[in-house]
Amino acid sequence: MKDAAPARTALGAVPEAAVARRDRTVLKAERVSVDFKVKGGETFRPLQDFSIDIAEGEITCILGPSGCGKSTLLRALGGFLRPEETGGVLWQGRYLTRPNTDIVLIFQENNLYPWLTARGNVGFGARYRMGRAERRRRVEDMLARLGLSEAADRYPHQLSGGMRQRTAIGRALVSDPQVLLLDEPFSALDVSLRRRMHQLLLKIWAETHKTMVMVTHNVEEAILVGHRVVVLGGPPAAITRDEDTRAPSLKDRYHRDFLALQKTLEDAIY
Amino acid sequence: MISESAKGIGIGIGFVALLIGLWELLGARGGVALTAVLPPPSQFLGTIAESGFKIGLGAQAAPVWDSALSTLGRVFAGMAVAFVLAILTGALLSLSKVATWCLRPVLHILAPIAPIAWIPTAIVVFGISNMTAVFIVFMGVYFVLTIATLAEIERVPAEYLTVAENLGASPAERWVSVVVPAILPGIFMLLRTNFLAAWMAVLVAEMVGLRDGLGAIIMMGRNLFNNELIMFGMVIIGVTGFLVDKVLALIGARLLWWRS
Repeated sequence: MKDAAPARTALGAVPEAAVARRDRTVLKAERVSVDFKVKGGETFRPLQDFSIDIAEGEITCILGPSGCGKSTLLRALGGFLRPEETGGVLWQGRYLTRPNTDIVLIFQENNLYPWLTARGNVGFGARYRMGRAERRRRVEDMLARLGLSEAADRYPHQLSGGMRQRTAIGRALVSDPQVLLLDEPFSALDVSLRRRMHQLLLKIWAETHKTMVMVTHNVEEAILVGHRVVVLGGPPAAITRDEDTRAPSLKDRYHRDFLALQKTLEDAIY
Repeated sequence: MISESAKGIGIGIGFVALLIGLWELLGARGGVALTAVLPPPSQFLGTIAESGFKIGLGAQAAPVWDSALSTLGRVFAGMAVAFVLAILTGALLSLSKVATWCLRPVLHILAPIAPIAWIPTAIVVFGISNMTAVFIVFMGVYFVLTIATLAEIERVPAEYLTVAENLGASPAERWVSVVVPAILPGIFMLLRTNFLAAWMAVLVAEMVGLRDGLGAIIMMGRNLFNNELIMFGMVIIGVTGFLVDKVLALIGARLLWWRS
């Protein structure tokens, strides 16, 4: 008899212990340096010898002032940039050299293809990976889970901002990647919509336990959504704070612990 | 309530009708020199109707619709070939920076040459045939569209391609399912604006070289000193061009639906 593994995809079936573990690193940045050529032959180096471990099944939020290299870090984690010299991003024991379908990046804007409907956008990646019937089933299921069934035949310009971001999330999730990278996904949304998107993201996490890395400049968002909040200074990016934010008192916007941490982090950033 | 656009169309039709009425009035009074050269519709339509809308002498006479169709066929064939080849050229050039550097100046030098300027060369190479007309239309549209394709490809947001690559699309699949749909509306819009240039080029080709088509009607009228025929040809050219532009606008609206 072997032990039954906890059912990780069913909502609510995950024991607290599984939530709290930080034992397995899935994605590891190892002394990553990234150079950008700027006009006039100079180079700009947002990342220099930067290292971070991303734990499996955890939501890591990355905070930092504008231009500190946090978006560059996110792109490096997805294999979208070619790191310079030594070091790199380790994924399943190998250095990433190009993007792959297991690590999916969601942008803040220009996310959706304007010539496809919400349904077409959600199914975009799936068309390269599965048969027609399977794709159809998964797309309809994803649309329903994200509350987009009614709007499935609309084009992006006919969708609200929240619907657009939900469609982008659906497209990323439909082929079941292992890691989601989110680059300020909700910063264009108003406060109430943003809070609903936080709930949705946490619901998705509860159902799937995906590893997520989210870059944001909203401290409140980072503490409420993240299991771990990393504050970057720079450029070049350097970790100035690394907080465990899983305590229930940090999920209450008016709790003194939450407010205290919010102040500490804001002071660290600005 | 009548919508603003319906009101605009109604007033437009009314104004054209008023102009035709005025024209008829001048023609009916007689003795006006202008209407001898520019006979009003009732006169030139009457004359043409007598011959059953057939144009030409004796056995060579052919219905005017044949002329319109052959002109339209030439324009559309030339534009379709140019449209497809321009996208293919743009695609190939966008794959190679060196090819772009070499060919871009060539395109920019060839583009401003009026299609009409190609007529003598085309007649020498292709003789008096449909090929000549198609070639002239092609030359009038192809270079402009290729330049536009290159510009449109550069304007495709980098995120579109990053997302596709991330989701597992191969380079060829990225071309077919991201770049082509992203650039198509812009290129089609340019195709529509270039239709008038292509239309004029083919008419001139028909006047100076080919023996049929709407342009040839004008030349026949000139050779026969037949003002009714000239006037009829001009009106047919104007109305056909107007209709084609509207059809292209409709197709464009289908292609451009997501840009609204």
